[in-house]
Amino acid sequence: MSMKRDQGGDGLGPELGELYASVPVPKAPAWFAAKTMARLRREEEKSRGWFGLPRWILIGAGAALLAVGWLRWESQPSVADAELFAALDAMVEEEKDSRWWAGL
Amino acid sequence: MGEETENELDGKLVLRIAQGDEEAMRELIVRHQDRVYGTVARMIGGAGPDAEDLAQQIFIRIWKAAGKYRAEAKFTTWLMTVTRNLVFTFCETRGRKLEVSDTVLDSETEEVQEVRQPVEGRTPREDLAGKELIDAVKLACAGLPPNQRLVVHLREHEEMDFFEIGKVLGISELGAKSLMHRARENLKIKLSEFFTEPR
Repeated sequence: MSMKRDQGGDGLGPELGELYASVPVPKAPAWFAAKTMARLRREEEKSRGWFGLPRWILIGAGAALLAVGWLRWESQPSVADAELFAALDAMVEEEKDSRWWAGL
Repeated sequence: MGEETENELDGKLVLRIAQGDEEAMRELIVRHQDRVYGTVARMIGGAGPDAEDLAQQIFIRIWKAAGKYRAEAKFTTWLMTVTRNLVFTFCETRGRKLEVSDTVLDSETEEVQEVRQPVEGRTPREDLAGKELIDAVKLACAGLPPNQRLVVHLREHEEMDFFEIGKVLGISELGAKSLMHRARENLKIKLSEFFTEPR
């Protein structure tokens, strides 16, 4: 006796469906939920940096600090050489006056 | 408990998960672990460490994406969509092609067993109860393209309707039916020795 091919309909059909159903579907191993939860916590920990803050917040804050520092450095008023030497000369003049007043 | 209530319960759990509730996550895993693990094992060719790792990754993805879940879709449809994405990626990256051969690796016992032995002297019904036939069906399913294998599993084991299956696969309902038809024809060819042509 042999089976006849079924026509199937929407699914595999009764006979092919019965064959398919005869193969047991594996079930999750013991402790699957506990192991998954432990892994989930590990991954959450890994994605956190210092002070329990998410790593992306720390990286963003670091990048923002660097950007602000660079902008401030760039916007410093530039001093021309002549201005610098004039300021130094004035200091020397002041020094002479101070010495004279001090009777040196 | 009705299906709608089951879906509502899942929806509530996902809402809690989106707020970081680990207890809700544990409950969701317990509710769906066999469904996810079974689907993954069927898709990658058997149970084992790979199936466990992938199933865990699926739940971790659910944890991370819980905030994006919209209750318009059934939770199981969303879960199976996540499963499909990870499993298909796994199959592609590993280049895992489960070719039809004359041997099948029994995932539970790790024994390589010969299948397609002569079936003379026994009725197909006797075969049906036997491990030999089970191995033949496993082998035939493993030889299907991944999308056909998933359609067969979702329809026959998860009893999903074609509209939902189409959503999982990102195709139309008609497309899902067409895939099922092709899978059925392929399985009939692969298992032809256990059938006779209809008169």
